[in-house]
Amino acid sequence: MVAAASSPIKINHATTMIINSIKIDDTFAEAFNMRGTRVLITAQNLKWAYHAANAMTGFATSVIGCGVEAGIEHELSADETPDGRPGISVLMFAMGSKVLMQQLETRMGQCILTCPTAAAFAGIESDDQISLGKNLRYFGDGYQTSKLINGKRYWRIPVMDGEFLTEETTGMVRAIGGGNFLILATSQPAALHAAETAIEAMKQVPNVIMPFPGGVVRSGSKVGSKYPKMFASTNDAFCPTLKGLVSSELSDDIESVMEIVIDGLAFDDIATSMRVGIQAICDLGKASGVKRISAGNYGGKLGPHHFKLHEIMGSASS
Amino acid sequence: MTALTFTSKSNSVHNVDCRRLTPNNLANLTVAQIENLSLLNTKNSPKIADCFDVSGTDANHIIFKKTHHQLDYIGHKMTSGQITIEGDCGDFLGANMRGGTIICHGNANDRVGDQMRRGLILIAGDAGDYCGSRMIAGTIGIYGNIGSNIGFAMKRGTILLTKVPSLLATIQDCGTHTLPFLTLLFKSFSAFNTPFNALKNLRVQRYAGDLACNGNGEILICNINVSA
Repeated sequence: MVAAASSPIKINHATTMIINSIKIDDTFAEAFNMRGTRVLITAQNLKWAYHAANAMTGFATSVIGCGVEAGIEHELSADETPDGRPGISVLMFAMGSKVLMQQLETRMGQCILTCPTAAAFAGIESDDQISLGKNLRYFGDGYQTSKLINGKRYWRIPVMDGEFLTEETTGMVRAIGGGNFLILATSQPAALHAAETAIEAMKQVPNVIMPFPGGVVRSGSKVGSKYPKMFASTNDAFCPTLKGLVSSELSDDIESVMEIVIDGLAFDDIATSMRVGIQAICDLGKASGVKRISAGNYGGKLGPHHFKLHEIMGSASS
Repeated sequence: MTALTFTSKSNSVHNVDCRRLTPNNLANLTVAQIENLSLLNTKNSPKIADCFDVSGTDANHIIFKKTHHQLDYIGHKMTSGQITIEGDCGDFLGANMRGGTIICHGNANDRVGDQMRRGLILIAGDAGDYCGSRMIAGTIGIYGNIGSNIGFAMKRGTILLTKVPSLLATIQDCGTHTLPFLTLLFKSFSAFNTPFNALKNLRVQRYAGDLACNGNGEILICNINVSA
């Protein structure tokens, strides 16, 4: 599967930033406009909220093949949810509003409606409202009922475990997808450990998700391929086993590269997330085996949002 | 702004039709203008000032004081805002209601919420016969006793009770259930100072009907003696 990041990557090797012995490339991550929404999923307990949320955000790593990019934002305690049960906040992003609406409706129907005790509520305010349970109500075959409570319409759909409760709509907002950074390390275990460390830190940042498995992607891509039918292919400049064959971006000591892709509701959310993640890796220091942090872009020609690593890391260099 | 207040004059010997005294009808009118309005669109209708002392400015929240069981049609066709009744009221409370909230701290007579389509009516005391008759949607809560023929020809909507009423044969027992939406409903009640604030238990006895008109309404009996 392909990831959002791509070459040709522009790196200015003349400018140096080193944080705790780890080099930060003078490059940027290139990100795109997306449409995003948030859904609050609750259930009888956190275990079943996770079952619902995991199903809803499954097969949602990249818009290239999945239609949407989705992920769990964070857990919600009982006093943070509309119905007073524990829950999960899910963020979902797509390249356009139509796809987002289609995917949300499909995933609500197949993943939330079906999950025992689960309920779904709007998680974001916006003038743009999209269907959450509006059309799912017809599953009730005429026995569905709606309640308008404090200006919000909810649907109660009779199901075999009792009643499925869902808010009618949720908000849709303009968002950004494709923020990213690359972790270049001396070994695969070292790259993975650094990535895991970064993800744990980035999970604490609100309004963002890292949609790939475990938040990490190993198959960064470039635009195009030698095969005409392929519109993206492996990012050979960052593949360590091709160092002698292609114009590689990797030095001799780099043996593994992993990427973290970030989607968020706003530029600052993604920038904060990247800073937190990169800093967490840098805090591991030289012993971690991480040599460089870089980023994926398309030369700045395709995506309007540029996350410059040196600006993001600011004065953290040493 | 203070709530627009109608204090009933004690000289009333006839039933008073209050259908014009809703937030949507009285918005942007001065007290003098309201006092000069006719209660009904008839030639010999009394003026509002003949039946009520009027004060306050906020028509979005109307308060009825010194009320009695001859004040009919309070909240008729109201679409928004809140009406608070500090005592008893007459027939057809919230009839044809289209939205907003009615809080009655006393008792209500017959036909509460007749043909009601949206909105919320909470009655802290008792309600008379034919409560929720021909109800189309919305929510009615009655904390006290209820008369006969509740939910007659009810199509949709929810009637919340704390005591089991005498029910029509066309309203069927659906069993005891835990309904998650009640959390949201009970939470919304907390904005009003009524006995409904004590409701916490999501487990209710559910009756549905009126099957005589293919209705999908529900009567929920809350157990006020059991905590959540």
